[in-house]
Amino acid sequence: MIQEKLYLKGDKLLDIYGYEFKAIKNALKLGRENTIKKVKESELKGRGGAGFPTGIKWEMAADIKAEQKFIVCNGDEGEPGTFKDRYLLEERPLKVLEGIMIAAYAVGADKAYIYIRGEYSKAIDVFLKTIEAARKEKILDDYFEGSDFKLELKLIRGAGAYVCGDETSLINSIEGKRGRSRIKPPYPIEKGLYNQPTVVNNVESLCCTAEILNPDSEEFSQLGIKGSRGTKLLCLSGDLNKPGLYEVEFASVTLKEIIYDLGGGLKEGENLRFVIPGGISTAIIKSENLDFPYSYQDFEKRGNSLGSGAVIAVSKKHDLLDLMLNVSRFYMDETCGTCFPCREGNRQINKILKSFKNDGKKIDAELVSDIGNTIRLAARCGLGQSSLNFIISVIENYQTDLEIGGKLYA
Amino acid sequence: MNEVKSLFYRESLLEKLHEIQNSYGYIPEIEIENLAEKYMLPRANVYGVISFYSMFYTEPTGKYIIRICDSISCHLNQSDSVLNAVKSFLNLESHQTTEDKKFTLEIVECLGHCGEGPVMMVNNKIYKKVNKNTALEILNNCL
Repeated sequence: MIQEKLYLKGDKLLDIYGYEFKAIKNALKLGRENTIKKVKESELKGRGGAGFPTGIKWEMAADIKAEQKFIVCNGDEGEPGTFKDRYLLEERPLKVLEGIMIAAYAVGADKAYIYIRGEYSKAIDVFLKTIEAARKEKILDDYFEGSDFKLELKLIRGAGAYVCGDETSLINSIEGKRGRSRIKPPYPIEKGLYNQPTVVNNVESLCCTAEILNPDSEEFSQLGIKGSRGTKLLCLSGDLNKPGLYEVEFASVTLKEIIYDLGGGLKEGENLRFVIPGGISTAIIKSENLDFPYSYQDFEKRGNSLGSGAVIAVSKKHDLLDLMLNVSRFYMDETCGTCFPCREGNRQINKILKSFKNDGKKIDAELVSDIGNTIRLAARCGLGQSSLNFIISVIENYQTDLEIGGKLYA
Repeated sequence: MNEVKSLFYRESLLEKLHEIQNSYGYIPEIEIENLAEKYMLPRANVYGVISFYSMFYTEPTGKYIIRICDSISCHLNQSDSVLNAVKSFLNLESHQTTEDKKFTLEIVECLGHCGEGPVMMVNNKIYKKVNKNTALEILNNCL
């Protein structure tokens, strides 16, 4: 049996009176530079999906001189299959709060936002209560424990827009605008919220920093292998016996073990066809190719990405065209429409798939791949760039099967 | 106080819209006018923001907003049978409201309970592992 490594996942952490804030206290003791150094040395990569090194982001933001800097905690978790941030916000909000405080202290920000998607009403309630208690206990809005660090934190509720998970769209949304992405550069660390240096970090990334700085969990940064340190929350779903949230040490398990051991294998004795390893913006991995360690570099080697940690098992009983149409509809509905190739490209893909379904018109794989490349090159945000990974990978892997007949069953 | 600081302390437009919607059930024309004045924006701009976000309504909705997830993880667990049952029970398509203003149906993307799908949300309450029978039971309890 695979052992989970529990750091981020654990008992409910809701009682502010019983929580010691050891990590932020340690950060204050270490000072700004050493806090950033520790996060850099931990090799923490952003857990939202893009995987940008958190320490480097902080360092760049810390180096910029500005009257006002902001931290934004990105809780706009919308990637289908992903529910780890909801778990952290609902069950471990104090870790999230502490992570926000550490980030703010490290880069020299005294104002922060947490943006939680509107559909997460329980997470919103829990976090509003956390903020209220923290204000009352002078953990927010006041100098923390007699230090020179003070943080004000506001919560903004999203209102149903997947694209706001992109950091520049999120910033526009906080500013009260349509959640459209911005052209980069300038990056948010130079000109973000209200044109001020802004660090946007994912909920899970911030919780990881609260482990990295916590003297009780010093070993966290040593877990895994070089390039993939720490643990990762996995959201298992699809055709599994034991779907749910799991926490594993990087590179200590294979994707195969994740499916068959943690996930309990496929339900109702079904056979696995493929795995979507990191949410629907990642390419599929066929059932026979799962035997590799779960780490950033092992995914990269395969031209893939571990994305948000949403591992979705798909059995042979499903119609591939139906799944492609489901994903296609998602992107067609959720594109913000700013970049023409993403807006129009995703519409055309949907049209191609529909005319295959309805009129038996063959899918022109080259055309689909061209549209995919155009979007990847021309869309501003990661959500657009990765919008065709799933569909293109299904076509590539099952082209012959798809050509035989409209529907494909096992 | 400098301008950026005052922007932080100002109530965000998004939060304000939530507040208005919570009290009216939707965002009426008169409030759009008020917001335009308050935030010094053209009315079209305020409307543009509202229409971008799927959870904001400019027309009255039903007393119960039924959201059914049909993203991939729920879809793999037969969410389509749930939504077909609900559609025919309410005689509605997505984004429609019953004449008696009791129900609004929304077929939505991921609600973040992917390990417990199919998932259905009635106003703010989440129901997990629903099937077509339990879904209709939930609706019947709203009647």
